[in-house]
Amino acid sequence: MKLKKLMALLLATIMCLSLMACGSSQKSNENTETGSMNNEGEAEEQPQVKPGKKGSIEFWTVFTGADGSSMQAIVDAYNATNPDYTVNHRAIEANDLYLKMPLAIQSGEDVPDVAINHIERIPLFQENGFLEDYNNFIGDSPIKAENYNPKAWQMTEINGGHYGIPLDVHSYALYVNMDLYEKYGNGALDDGILTWDEIKASGEACKADGIVTIGMAWHRVKFLAAYAQLGGTLSSDGVTPDFDNDKALKVLNLWTELNDLGYIQKDGDAPWEMFLGGQVLYCPEGIWMWNNVKEAGLNAKIYDYPVFDPAVKGNWTSSHQFVLPKNEKRDAEKTKAVLEFIDFIGNNSLEWAKAGQVPAHNAIKDVAEFKDMPQAFLADENEELKIYNYKYYGYAVESLDKVLTEILFGRMTAEDGLKQAVQETKDRIEMGQ
Amino acid sequence: MQKSYRVKSKKKFSITPYLFIAPHIILFIIFFVIPMFYGIYASFTKWNLFSDPEFIGLDNYKTILFNKESTFYRQFWNGLKNTITFVIICVPFQIIIPLFIALLLDKKPKGRNIFQGILYMPTLFSITSVTLTWLFIFNRSLGLFNNLFGTDINWYGEQPYAWMTIVITTLWWGIGGNLIIYVAALSGIDKSVLEAANLDGAKGFKRFWYITVPTIKFPLTYTIIVSVIAQFNIYGQPLIITGGGPNESTFVLLMYIRNLAFGTGNSIAGMASSMATCLGLIIGIISVGQLVLIRRRSE
Repeated sequence: MKLKKLMALLLATIMCLSLMACGSSQKSNENTETGSMNNEGEAEEQPQVKPGKKGSIEFWTVFTGADGSSMQAIVDAYNATNPDYTVNHRAIEANDLYLKMPLAIQSGEDVPDVAINHIERIPLFQENGFLEDYNNFIGDSPIKAENYNPKAWQMTEINGGHYGIPLDVHSYALYVNMDLYEKYGNGALDDGILTWDEIKASGEACKADGIVTIGMAWHRVKFLAAYAQLGGTLSSDGVTPDFDNDKALKVLNLWTELNDLGYIQKDGDAPWEMFLGGQVLYCPEGIWMWNNVKEAGLNAKIYDYPVFDPAVKGNWTSSHQFVLPKNEKRDAEKTKAVLEFIDFIGNNSLEWAKAGQVPAHNAIKDVAEFKDMPQAFLADENEELKIYNYKYYGYAVESLDKVLTEILFGRMTAEDGLKQAVQETKDRIEMGQ
Repeated sequence: MQKSYRVKSKKKFSITPYLFIAPHIILFIIFFVIPMFYGIYASFTKWNLFSDPEFIGLDNYKTILFNKESTFYRQFWNGLKNTITFVIICVPFQIIIPLFIALLLDKKPKGRNIFQGILYMPTLFSITSVTLTWLFIFNRSLGLFNNLFGTDINWYGEQPYAWMTIVITTLWWGIGGNLIIYVAALSGIDKSVLEAANLDGAKGFKRFWYITVPTIKFPLTYTIIVSVIAQFNIYGQPLIITGGGPNESTFVLLMYIRNLAFGTGNSIAGMASSMATCLGLIIGIISVGQLVLIRRRSE
């Protein structure tokens, strides 16, 4: 009996100890239960880079897509220069990163030294006090404002502080299947820009041959691009959402018209995959998808997003920015190393351009190979890059996501959809204070 | 002389069993009980997870239950309706189909163990791989189903097909769990009772309903209750397969809750907690109700 008691005590102690020991390393995903299944826990495993002479820099990015390998190549190139601090690149799915980063900063545990954030996130993060002001650090570093695309640089000027160093600008543009264009295009792109009327003009011929005239995917940014072209904003005063107006209706009525005419893909189809398969003439998509096009061997080119008026271009654009999360464990020396790393990337962005991005550092404009790239024309654009920096962008686009597909395929009227989206944004703003 | 012994009826207190269950109880308290009470507390607050929670009493509940103009009211009731719809259309199949298969397997055909293994395998896969696989099968232009049968069904964009995709995926994934329990339960039935029933003229369905079912009452009760609870918690399938569409008709309550607590922008944890607490209460009431009903029936 004594042995049994001893065993029980030993077992209990071991379990408690092991619980404490592995407390910090386990990460599990959502809890989903059906049938008699229990938790699905998946620990994240990332290969750690060998630390440099003085340590390593934790670098979080959102590049889990086609461009991830390109960023890794640049990081590897930096690590190959034997810096004092090597860089550990960790790619995290965007929504996860925007959850983990604030939580890490709040708790002070496992805070990244530098991270990539989409520009729309920065105002809110800055307001919550998560980010360092670069003005305190860039004084004697190689980072200079004039080295960067002015639009991308100025978007993170908030209340006199500077909170983001741009990596790139990336736009949602238009991919054109040039083979199909020869057959059905009617010379619409001779002036270098495609209008919605020209799209409609090609519609009947395409429809007759079973080709989708224009593929509609990622409705959120398509709406925002066309809306911005008409001069619309998510909020006229920067606080209250008011995007249920005539300009928005004009955009959405165009969409329902295209659907009624049968010029877009069928409800439930995946337009980008069909485009890669050669069944779609025009397909708006992000320039970052260029790698997909290359792999598919498609004869395609990138143009500006379709316009209502050829004189007013507008491409929904976001920008990846380097941000410095507030992190007590990053000392002045490491911060200096981070800035040197950022400068290195700026001067070595060709790999990033190959992934279809438009690097924000001006050094890229001198690289001959870049000038031949399909997205190069965006580097010289300024006002045409429609960057949204509404504080509550997140709420607005999430509520739009719920209604845009329904409106497009006629399951909901544009008025009802916009009203619901604005109401949801308002309610969430009110409760999220 | 008679000695009178006063027997002390008090058992000697033994700490051994408590030590054995201590690890589980500690884990349970830390990772379940405490967060549960914290969540209930959060439902009475206005909280964005980063600053301190602000106590607002029953306001959140008033909003989701009574305030018709609020988005959260619409989301709560829509989510609840969709979740309950799913439970009603899924759980019966989740009980009947495995039971039927278990009865077939009980006849001990050749290759019985292989079939059992194959039918159980889907439960071993993770939800993401399962939903992605079925996502491709039900793709409209490029998917297996439409191409194989020449149909042009818009699986994710139209009802009732959207529900069908979710139910089919869930059943395929979850049948194995209940199946194993039923196979074990059926094999535990005394064969002589069944033979006696046969001799008395009770065959087929009569024998099944009056002899087999009462005998496996306990595993059956357990699986029914657990399946209902599990399906009330559905989240992954509609998220990945239909994204909550069409027209938010498959947007289940847990999706709204997660969206509010962990969506873009500031978290609205208080509102999400109140929705979650209501869901928890409903699940609790239904589970207890089921237990009482089934117990009463069997008496």
